[in-house]
Amino acid sequence: MKFCFLFLLALMSGGLAAQAGEMKLQAQLIWATNDKESPDPKHKAVDKALEKKLQQLPWKWNNYFEVNSQDFALPPKGAQKVSMSKKCVIEVKDLGDSRVEVTLIGQGKAANKTTKPLPKGDVLIIAGDSENKCAWFVVIKQVESK
Amino acid sequence: MKHEEQLKLQAYLDGELSGRETRAVEELVARDAAAQNLLAELRFTKTALAGNEPEIKLPESREFYWSKIEREIQRLETVPATRGTNWFTWWWRRYWIPFSGFAVMMALLLGTVNQYLFRSPVLEEIDNPSEETGAFTFRSDKERMTVVWLYDRTEETASDLEDLEEDPVK
Repeated sequence: MKFCFLFLLALMSGGLAAQAGEMKLQAQLIWATNDKESPDPKHKAVDKALEKKLQQLPWKWNNYFEVNSQDFALPPKGAQKVSMSKKCVIEVKDLGDSRVEVTLIGQGKAANKTTKPLPKGDVLIIAGDSENKCAWFVVIKQVESK
Repeated sequence: MKHEEQLKLQAYLDGELSGRETRAVEELVARDAAAQNLLAELRFTKTALAGNEPEIKLPESREFYWSKIEREIQRLETVPATRGTNWFTWWWRRYWIPFSGFAVMMALLLGTVNQYLFRSPVLEEIDNPSEETGAFTFRSDKERMTVVWLYDRTEETASDLEDLEEDPVK
């Protein structure tokens, strides 16, 4: 009986501790194109898992290149600004309960604010057209702490 | 002399033989000198033991000695009386501890169920601070992916959305 009580107590405190921790996120700026190579040699191919996910969707692009990748941590109910490129900045806020608010700031102006749950395993993509019939994606997801 | 015959002699001395066996042993003793010697030795030993057993005198009478043994047996057989327990302690152990454990388990279970079943799913909220930017969303549950697609409103009107040349989907 004592053991059961202590076990339940440990379980509850573990759950509370997990909720109270930071949220580890990753934001990637992806270039979508049908060209076999990206115009910028610094760009690299996205990881296979993400590529497979993107190819499952009915996009008209076949090739995806990573322009920038940023790992960052959100303190509980905190916010973080992440620069993805010279023209693109995202501000991510932790609203609690795995909900995040992502504000996309393009060329100094807030273009979009998206609020949604982002549990582990889910991916949020904010995307738009670019020149030469290509597109840009900002991919945001939770990652495991390293 | 056989071992069995020796035992017969001892039994004869103790009066444990039947009539026929007794006559057989007496015939053996009459004809066998070794049997005679053994019988004499056994008889002597029996007499010596019976006549020289030390007598141990108890410090108390026989009745008192046995009554003490009887009382000790009764004392050991008596079930020890239970200690008087505090009623609150008894009630605490009997009901409260199991109940509190059960209540904690139910609270955890209800919390989990509430989180996954009864809470209405919260959909994404999209806000476009700029009038020039529009957005539409779609979600792939299979890939667990939500896409917010931004487009420039200044280039198309609402009625022309069907004719979008820059449709991202195949």
